[in-house]
Amino acid sequence: MHTIKTRDKFTSVVYGLAASAGLTLLVIVGSRNLEHYDAALFGYTVASVVAFGAIVYRYALWLSRPATRVYWRRGWQLFRDRRRLAENTKSAAQTITHNLVEQRFIRRRGFTRWLMHALIMWGCLLSAAVTFPLVFGWIHFKLEGERGYRTYLFGFPLNALDGRSIAAWVMFHALDFTAVMVLAGCAIAIRRRLRDRGAIALQQYMLDFVPHLLLISVSVTGLMLTVSSLWLGGYMYSFISLTHQALVIMTLFYLPFGKLFHVVQRPASVGVELYQRRAREMPQAACARCGVEFVSEMWLGDLKQVVAELGFDYTMPDGRQLQDYCPRCKRVMRGLSYASLPDRTAEVFRGSRAERNVERNVDFGLRNAD
Amino acid sequence: MEETMFIDPQRCIGCRSCVAACRECGTHKGYSMIYVDYLDRAETTATMPTVCMHCTEPTCALVCPADAIKMSEEGIVMSALKPRCLDCRNCVNACPFGVPKYNTEMHLQMKCDMCYDRSSEGLKPMCASVCPTGAIAFGKYEQIVPLRRTKPVNVHVFGNQHVETKVYLMLPTDADAVEVDGCGVFEGMLQRPAEERQTPTVESWIDTQVEHSDKSNEF
Repeated sequence: MHTIKTRDKFTSVVYGLAASAGLTLLVIVGSRNLEHYDAALFGYTVASVVAFGAIVYRYALWLSRPATRVYWRRGWQLFRDRRRLAENTKSAAQTITHNLVEQRFIRRRGFTRWLMHALIMWGCLLSAAVTFPLVFGWIHFKLEGERGYRTYLFGFPLNALDGRSIAAWVMFHALDFTAVMVLAGCAIAIRRRLRDRGAIALQQYMLDFVPHLLLISVSVTGLMLTVSSLWLGGYMYSFISLTHQALVIMTLFYLPFGKLFHVVQRPASVGVELYQRRAREMPQAACARCGVEFVSEMWLGDLKQVVAELGFDYTMPDGRQLQDYCPRCKRVMRGLSYASLPDRTAEVFRGSRAERNVERNVDFGLRNAD
Repeated sequence: MEETMFIDPQRCIGCRSCVAACRECGTHKGYSMIYVDYLDRAETTATMPTVCMHCTEPTCALVCPADAIKMSEEGIVMSALKPRCLDCRNCVNACPFGVPKYNTEMHLQMKCDMCYDRSSEGLKPMCASVCPTGAIAFGKYEQIVPLRRTKPVNVHVFGNQHVETKVYLMLPTDADAVEVDGCGVFEGMLQRPAEERQTPTVESWIDTQVEHSDKSNEF
């Protein structure tokens, strides 16, 4: 069965290290040789660089799985088809909008579930969009005049803003808004996890609760920074700031190895959807037994390749693969094999444990069963 | 969990109580994950109940590109983790038993997880709790087997592939495994010439009249 090859592990480590080095370089270049870099955020930067490397390492390792590799290669191959590049780009853009931005598939599972996920996702993504450029020194602000605030992106000046305007207030408090979004989303999620019988049975502490606890603690400590500076005259500010930093770093390190990895993994569904759309237009494979067209030939061929690569051999006596049959025919064929057991060479089963145990005077209450 | 399931198709009367009860399970609320298929309606009323057999080396989990299908410590093969499942349907078509179901609209794969909300607490899965004939039983090996005159077997041979499972099939014969060789006929297999036996036959008309979702496993 499939085990991760040493070569794949090595390649993944190289990718991970290259990604960390690349991000470090971008930090240096983007902050104009660290001129606009805020040294107080050094801890965040180191954690981000390490976590980014770890995410790339995990992603590369994930792509080394036989099934993932086949989908990855085939997905890109289909996408790059020159004759259909425009159509494929449009299709991918549509999938990104429907699946990643609007998340219609979660909406179909339930409105509350969708709301929960949207609040957490947009809360986290917007926070990241605000935080990372600041941490990496890609964005900084300079005072202009008495109330003017000018934003600089990679050292290039952008628009100036009145520091007392509503827009500025919203911008300066963006992380407070996103923290409230995350808290609301986590509250809905935890309520479901404490009440839903199915969720209670399946959930695991590390996988399902820790990410919520991390997000809640990051949001709460983040809001406490605002409270401390606005209303408590900076009371305990440095302690809260350190705690917040420690929690953010923990979350960043949890990202590649926990539930939150789906944030990076999930966009692959764009490729899968493209694969399926194209597959529907291609010649379809008919079930070898009932003749129904159930998947495309390309898809079935890829699946058989993956199954063989994993070490399975589902070759049937007639040379076909078991995967050539539709799911229902597989079930019926098994039923027919079961039903024809008495026709085969095996003896009728007579030595039941009950009989043997009755002979050994073990009473199962079946003595008079015959 | 020492308990497992024991499936005895000889006892199945096709009442589909299990199909209805399965929808009540907390882990796949509203959707039935069990199948009761007619074998050959032109020839027989025999039906085959199919639940997930919970393979010790699950093909569905290994062909999953997202690594979304996990096994519990007790050997239960769970439904795909929702955040990971990419709706690729590899598992649906790779499973030798034809078990996993999917829903494209919701990007969701689900399968029989032995009613994990119940079985993890020692309760019977919904199907086993309602089956009127004991075709689907749940319990410890030493509790169930002595009550039966059928042989518990947890090995299937699909062509060249041996598949060992957590769930047992109760056989009327002394065979050590169920050999699924693609023969598509109900009875009298041995009376037919060898080459005809190996040729999968087309279903009778009445068997082709099932819903397409039955063939593609879409729920």
